[in-house]
Amino acid sequence: MPFTRRDLLKLGAKATAAAALASLPRPLMAQLTGEGRWEPAPPIDDPRLKDLALRALEAARTAGASYADVRLTHDWGRDLQAGVHDSERLTVGVRALVGGYWGFASGPVWSSDEMVRLGREAYHQAKTNGLGKPRSVDLAPVPAVSDGHWLMPVKLDPFEIHPFELTDYLTSLAIFAKETPDIAAQLDCSFFKQEKAFASTVGSYCTQRTYLTAGRFDVTLDRNHKRVGGSVGNLSPAGMGWELIRDQPLREAFRRTVAELEEILKLPVKPLDVGRYDTLLDANPVAMLMDRTLGYATELDRALGFEANAGGTSFLNDPAAMLGSYRAGAPLFSVTANRSEPGGCATVKWDDEGVAPDDFALVKDGVLTDFQTTRESAGWLKDWYAQHGRPFRSHGCAAADRGINAPLQRIPNLVMSSGRETAGFEELGSGLANGMAFKGVQIEMDFQNLNGLALGNAYEVKRGKRVALIPGVGILFRAPELWKTLTAVGGAASVQRFGTATVKGEPAVRTTHSVSAPPAVFNQLTLIDPLRKA
Amino acid sequence: MSARGRGADDGLRFLSREACDALVRRIRGFVQGGGETSVGVNSWWSGELRWARNRVTLASDRRDLDITVARALLGSYGHVTLNQMDDVSLAAAVRAAERDSRTQFPVLENIEALPPTFTYPTTAIWSDATYQLTVEERERVALALVEPAEAAGMLAAGYLQLGATGVAQTGVDGSLFYARQTAAQCSMTVRDPQGTGSGWAGLSSYDWTRIDPKALAKRALDKCLASRNPVTLEPGRYTVILEPQAVHDLLSVIMANLDRDYAERQGGPFAAGADNALQLGLTKLGLKIVDERVTISHDPTDPALGVVPFFVGSGGGIEPVRPATWIDHGVLKALSQERNTYAVPRLTENQGQPNTGSYRMSGGPTSVDEMIQTTKRGLLVTRFWNVTLVDAGSLLATGLTRDGLWLIENGKISKAVKNFRFTESPLFVLNSIEQMGEPVPVFNPGAPVIVPPLKARDFSFTSLVDAV
Repeated sequence: MPFTRRDLLKLGAKATAAAALASLPRPLMAQLTGEGRWEPAPPIDDPRLKDLALRALEAARTAGASYADVRLTHDWGRDLQAGVHDSERLTVGVRALVGGYWGFASGPVWSSDEMVRLGREAYHQAKTNGLGKPRSVDLAPVPAVSDGHWLMPVKLDPFEIHPFELTDYLTSLAIFAKETPDIAAQLDCSFFKQEKAFASTVGSYCTQRTYLTAGRFDVTLDRNHKRVGGSVGNLSPAGMGWELIRDQPLREAFRRTVAELEEILKLPVKPLDVGRYDTLLDANPVAMLMDRTLGYATELDRALGFEANAGGTSFLNDPAAMLGSYRAGAPLFSVTANRSEPGGCATVKWDDEGVAPDDFALVKDGVLTDFQTTRESAGWLKDWYAQHGRPFRSHGCAAADRGINAPLQRIPNLVMSSGRETAGFEELGSGLANGMAFKGVQIEMDFQNLNGLALGNAYEVKRGKRVALIPGVGILFRAPELWKTLTAVGGAASVQRFGTATVKGEPAVRTTHSVSAPPAVFNQLTLIDPLRKA
Repeated sequence: MSARGRGADDGLRFLSREACDALVRRIRGFVQGGGETSVGVNSWWSGELRWARNRVTLASDRRDLDITVARALLGSYGHVTLNQMDDVSLAAAVRAAERDSRTQFPVLENIEALPPTFTYPTTAIWSDATYQLTVEERERVALALVEPAEAAGMLAAGYLQLGATGVAQTGVDGSLFYARQTAAQCSMTVRDPQGTGSGWAGLSSYDWTRIDPKALAKRALDKCLASRNPVTLEPGRYTVILEPQAVHDLLSVIMANLDRDYAERQGGPFAAGADNALQLGLTKLGLKIVDERVTISHDPTDPALGVVPFFVGSGGGIEPVRPATWIDHGVLKALSQERNTYAVPRLTENQGQPNTGSYRMSGGPTSVDEMIQTTKRGLLVTRFWNVTLVDAGSLLATGLTRDGLWLIENGKISKAVKNFRFTESPLFVLNSIEQMGEPVPVFNPGAPVIVPPLKARDFSFTSLVDAV
């Protein structure tokens, strides 16, 4: 049996040296007490961090804040791309509410003096905001979390594995891929780990450790001046550790991808006959389309104009009137949201306001049923929730990438429901008499997530068989009509999950969530040549 | 500044030259075993204000820093990034950079040599007015921005940011390159409560006094009011009058592709075939590519186009920002390149020509009003959004109009029009120019840009977008 560095780690005495090498000592310093003594930043569940957090809250409250919260984050980043690049950061951010106005202050120093400065500064920023104009904030109630600790379950913490082991693994895969004639491969991955302590004047204190791992294994088959490309496995971002990459049978997946590329290369290439076609989309394009239409459009702050100067607004522009009646898609179209699924990029135990997120439905049987909310934004639907006998609560969608940025409402993990039959991509395709199929698309949306253009390579399907490749096709769509043309969706086994990043707010902040969907068939989509001018 | 973990607050809200110098010396003190060491320090403060639905939604003060420690040992290179300044963390970062330098795997491109010594010009990038605008003054600005919209029964959303950055990078001989820079930006969107109209205005500059928030507020409100209840127009080819912001939104596609390595590898619009005898990839340098009225250039000493005068490349390499004339009277005169990238053999020595994204485009004598008066039928465009390449070879791009599109008939603005998706190449637009106006600064935080409004023929709008 080959001897790996993981085995070494279990060997007791020798393990100390190995572990020191692996998670190379980069102790960032924190001042955990008021005595001005600096020491290595401790693990997140160290009880002294609570005192640090409470100091910030106390400073904001003493100054006059009606509510305050604080986030301390300790991040580790590791990118493997032609070598290893490591990063490590400590940040802290304090948010204060004064007379209906929010203030925020953040910085890179974990010390008791700095907590006091940030608490006061957040108050000062909020206090200066009002200028005599009334603004009310009705925060949805949240039960206090007393000393909660949560670790995202992962099999292999990438930061406890020696970087040489990680690079050796990728190098061997790259060498393996290079042995195949006419194949060029691109291989890289990145890891992120975050420890976060949260406290609020509600009386909550909780800490969490989360992970985000992503990889890319792209191959290009280049033969006789014809070139086709594809991806190996599913290495899109996930709330997992090194196992995302190590536990996938990537050599077998590579052979499958190459075999598929060989098949595609044999297909005749033809131009698009512009028009309307029954269209089969694989799980990835369905997931991405669902995300870019309803995923974005059901952000309540966006729908009410809070992002108007940045990403835009939403075609769901009258939330209270649309809830429960707006037809967002065909009856077989249902979408749920969660921050609980194992492996989800947005999965947490508590959000950035100390709320334990619930699983909730955004679209049920084609009808809009809810929006994504925070403690503040849930208040904008308080009356509607009361009228419909629904609880007044936040869905726990507040998030920021790290302590330096203030939390905003961000998209949770989304799941589109599957069909009752067991059909997958191939089965749905074999039912297509005359149509088009897409395995991947790049999506361009407008600023209300209403009109879109999805760009990708199409396969012409005749009597259930792929008969030609049509490169560079555009699907032109309007979001509500798109989901109403849904005629068949794949079964539970065909659902796949993908991690995707979004950028929101001013300053622009990037966060990641997962989207799961089955492949699906759409009735008569409009396909265009995106290179054709008017 | 104390050696132990103190943040970026020694009276300054970011690190001074002296603080960076001391930090670098401490880091160098931890180096063992020869090789080269390079350090970059980027410390920043940002004071900002966000508003929506006519109320401030968040005011914030944020500060952070990035220290990048790079070690080159035995021909390989590793770097790590951290945001703490204590000795223990810095020493560990040096060790980690040394370790990471031994992990290079499959295809390593050329190793960037560490920086040489050079001199660089003084540029206009610091403004006391920007740095000293207080939280209270910021709030009063926001109020002045919101009030006209609120009085008109409209909804305003916007963002005001003032910031400062200290950028430091070591040279190979131990010298330290340092620059401090301020940045200000203000932009706002005004919508009518029914969501049938939307107007936008924005401007960025290192100097807050060059931004007139009241003028921006009026412009965004006027555009909103005039854009309400738009009519549907058929997609097709139209004469367009592009306001300066729209010109920049299109030109950004050209600016992002002014890359010599890319062109020599025969990618993008500026490739011109290969010379097999010399084994050189040819480019369109020296060829006329757009209308001869068009000159696109950048001079870092231009007081309105100041940038950090040295450029830190992808591998930590450093080079001065030199004046560049990318397009001279329609002729492609320069393509950007990082110093010391030898991806392709070439005859001339590579001196480096970084592209900072800052530029000035030549203009003409015609005002936007005159352009409108001389147009029989055309469209007036406020700005474009989400401009994306669909064909790299021709720079064919697609994107959307946003926040104000109007039909011009017989020399007058006749009605507001629903938005369009376009499919067009900025090179085609610069070859179809009818008139140009006076170049003015536009909104482009981080890299100042000065462009004129222009009128062009046969702009291709390909589909209707009924989003506001």
